[in-house]
Amino acid sequence: MTEAPCERRTSPSKRMRLDVTASDFAELEHLHPYGALPGGNVFFAEQARSAIRPSDLLPDDDAWLHILGYCNGRDLGCLVRSCRYFYVAGHSPELWRDLVLRQCEKRAIRNVGPTWKDTYVKLFYSETIPPHRPMSIPGIYSDTLYRLHSCRSFSIPKVWLDRSPTDTLERVSVNDLTVSQFKSRYEKPNIPVLIEGAAKDWKAFERWNRPEYLLQHAAGRTFRTTSGVAPLPGNFSLDAYLKYCESTILEEAPLYLFDRTALEPGSHLWNDYMEDLKSSCPYWDPELMKSNGHDLFQVLGEGRRPDHTWLIAGPKRSGSVFHIDPNCTHAWNAAICGRKRWIFYPPGVTPPGVHPSADGDEVTLPLSVGEWIFQFWDEHMQRKQSAPLHERPLECTAMPGDVIFVPHGWWHLVVNLDKMNIAITHNYVSDSNLSNTLKFLETKVDQISGCRDREESIKPEHLSEEFKKALKQQVPELLSEALKVPTWTCRAWKDAEAPKKSVIEQAKEAGPCPSFSFSFL
Amino acid sequence: MEDAIVKLTSKEGETFDVPRKVAMMSKLVKDTFSDDDDEDDEEDETEVKEVPLPNVTAPVLKKVIEYCTHYQDEEMTPIQTPLKSGTLDELVQAWYANFVKVDRNMLFDLVAAANFMDIKPLLDLTCLAVSILIKGKSAQELRQMFNISAELSPEEQAEAQRENAVAE
Repeated sequence: MTEAPCERRTSPSKRMRLDVTASDFAELEHLHPYGALPGGNVFFAEQARSAIRPSDLLPDDDAWLHILGYCNGRDLGCLVRSCRYFYVAGHSPELWRDLVLRQCEKRAIRNVGPTWKDTYVKLFYSETIPPHRPMSIPGIYSDTLYRLHSCRSFSIPKVWLDRSPTDTLERVSVNDLTVSQFKSRYEKPNIPVLIEGAAKDWKAFERWNRPEYLLQHAAGRTFRTTSGVAPLPGNFSLDAYLKYCESTILEEAPLYLFDRTALEPGSHLWNDYMEDLKSSCPYWDPELMKSNGHDLFQVLGEGRRPDHTWLIAGPKRSGSVFHIDPNCTHAWNAAICGRKRWIFYPPGVTPPGVHPSADGDEVTLPLSVGEWIFQFWDEHMQRKQSAPLHERPLECTAMPGDVIFVPHGWWHLVVNLDKMNIAITHNYVSDSNLSNTLKFLETKVDQISGCRDREESIKPEHLSEEFKKALKQQVPELLSEALKVPTWTCRAWKDAEAPKKSVIEQAKEAGPCPSFSFSFL
Repeated sequence: MEDAIVKLTSKEGETFDVPRKVAMMSKLVKDTFSDDDDEDDEEDETEVKEVPLPNVTAPVLKKVIEYCTHYQDEEMTPIQTPLKSGTLDELVQAWYANFVKVDRNMLFDLVAAANFMDIKPLLDLTCLAVSILIKGKSAQELRQMFNISAELSPEEQAEAQRENAVAE
């Protein structure tokens, strides 16, 4: 027993060491394909190898990437042959991605190569050019180029790939959760939860894991994909997108498929889960709107309500940086193929690196998951381990077949962990968040989304009135309950503050001041 | 407050008096101010501030100030990509196109200054101007222009050539 006290003393630090540290991401999955190394390595290099960039002219790599961003494919093609430095910098996949996206603004990408440069060549030159084979060039030392590559190729921590003690989000088996339990334990108190195996028995779970099945049902369609660091969305045929996801070297923040029309009610893919959802997760059965207050935007009618259902797909390391879901809605998100890591911060607790404007209209934050990890992981860990309990972030990995409940107002970041990840997500308003949604629609009209670019949808300025009108007709008792709540019940939102008074106004109100006066009064 | 002056000091120690609004186009200058203004002391705003710019020489700083001053009267229209044209005059307003018609050293110094002082539209304009220098040049011409000695090795050259379809 003599060792027992010792053990107890060391246990807190042991527990800390169990969690993921920033260095767990830093060992990259692939070396830089063109051989770039961090700037510091230059001190260990041979003299002759170090002076390799045209540094006498312009020492900054960021500026060079900015310049290369204005070059067309032909000029980039010449630059990469002119010298070692340009060979490496000019092959940044982001440059070639932007060239393709800008030229494919109004057309679909139906043919992709192993790299974005190959795709560019295929689309605009010839199908028969031999594929690009990256050469590793010795002597390129650049923090900018290396860091960019780190964001493309960071390691996925091993503990994320399975259930582990680093998962702090509550979890419950789908078999142990009734409608009233879900509502009283999670939805009403606004607490996120992982529901294990909730999608395991959906037809989609088996069918969508077969690419040929999806290709068959998506023939002729194109899918919209976006990335926080890409200048434009990309529209892909599904076969081209699946091929893109298989690329060995992807760019930072890969294009993420987020399609709001693929799962239209009545569509084949929708039929692959809707009936099964009703039986496995009856708390999300849209038909029970009147009896259990679920998915109240239904009162507006399918085409008139804001977007609410998305098919999501993406390669490894694609994902969403921190955000709060639109229109004050709750959401559920079912992992169908592939695993996802989720990080949550409670309403009103801003995650590290995230800076919302005072009115909440705009948020400044790193635009890729990789960049956020490399800049803010340590701060995140510190808050995970030592912030006051109710302000701590929550984390978990959703395995295929798990469904996550994302309550309204919670910040969340999601990153895909497998080569191919497919998910379904529905956003909704229920009796539990109705009072806040009504306040939101009335007072934050500028922030309303999902109804601006469709003709038949109700436009933001009318949404509050139309919603109340329809609720009054169809579920009047829920509306009157919600209208009784006088203030926000979620800390993610607050009323706009009265405009700050200027010094002069404050001084005026304070009355004459003997030692100080305004000459113009 | 509108008339407040900021003193910008070049590498050589030469000081330029610049209206606050003009100087604030530089995010570097702006951040210097907001760091100091932590206490929200509004009286501070009338005080003359000095910002040292040890990376920027006086002739370059003069050009930068010229740019930021003109920008107050005529904002530069954002540069649209993909570029619709290969000539500056068709991409930005005449004043801005003329502004970057300078010798190569000055142009590169301006890129570096815009990058260091974090002036987004000036960085866009000067980088655009460099990309136009690059436009249409062969690999050999680029090597001469940028005075590059670190060429690819013959084997690397051959490999790069093999897949050079886009460069012809």
